[in-house]
Amino acid sequence: MYLIRHYLLTFSVVILLFLPVIAEAQTWDNLTQAQREALAPLSKEWNTLQTQQQQRLINLAKHYPQLDAVQKQRLHNRLEKWSKLTPEQRNHAREKFQAFSKIPLETREQVKQMIRQQDAQKLSIPAANPVLTNTP
Amino acid sequence: MKKEGLNHENIKQLLNHSVTQLERPTLTRLHHAREQAMARYSTRNTEPVFVRAGHAIWHAFGTQHKSRLWATTLLAAIILFSATAYWSQITKSDTTDVDIAILTGDLPMHFYVD
Repeated sequence: MYLIRHYLLTFSVVILLFLPVIAEAQTWDNLTQAQREALAPLSKEWNTLQTQQQQRLINLAKHYPQLDAVQKQRLHNRLEKWSKLTPEQRNHAREKFQAFSKIPLETREQVKQMIRQQDAQKLSIPAANPVLTNTP
Repeated sequence: MKKEGLNHENIKQLLNHSVTQLERPTLTRLHHAREQAMARYSTRNTEPVFVRAGHAIWHAFGTQHKSRLWATTLLAAIILFSATAYWSQITKSDTTDVDIAILTGDLPMHFYVD
């Protein structure tokens, strides 16, 4: 009984100490073919990413097969820039997205339309008005 | 004065002298008891380091039942708190739905980032 109690105590301490290590880092080679396809733009810097970020991206890759071709393309185009953002910037983007999702649909569509127009203008007249490019 | 004269050497001599006066069966029993005690000691010494560390921590809380009970409760509370905090962080950090919406949505990413 005495020994069992000690083993239990020691086991608990060990579990407690190793709890954060449970989610261990994954190397690029350890990823599945599907995950590598989804996260292809990050192949070079994958091993330098933090464990938590890797885990988030792996979760993201689970959705990849359900995306249509346009969405897959967008994901690949944006993934590299996304991974280079600081955690604070990503959190800020998430908050902004959630706030934007709460706006009435009609207003949202107007904003989207406005942004599309702005982007189209930027593409047609590159750097024509640098002051305007920085306005939200 | 007599107390000063009773050093380790005297005690050893006294014990050795007493042993010679003991009966053979008593000596055998004592020898057997000593061997058993030594065997237990060597078994304890072969325990892994972390088990011995556990013993040390356990004994650090004193021999009173109450303090050990407190130590166990405290440890259980710490484990429970850590586990809850860990799982809460995991749940909180599961932002996959939002991330996928930002990364695949029809609005450019800079709209959310800038």
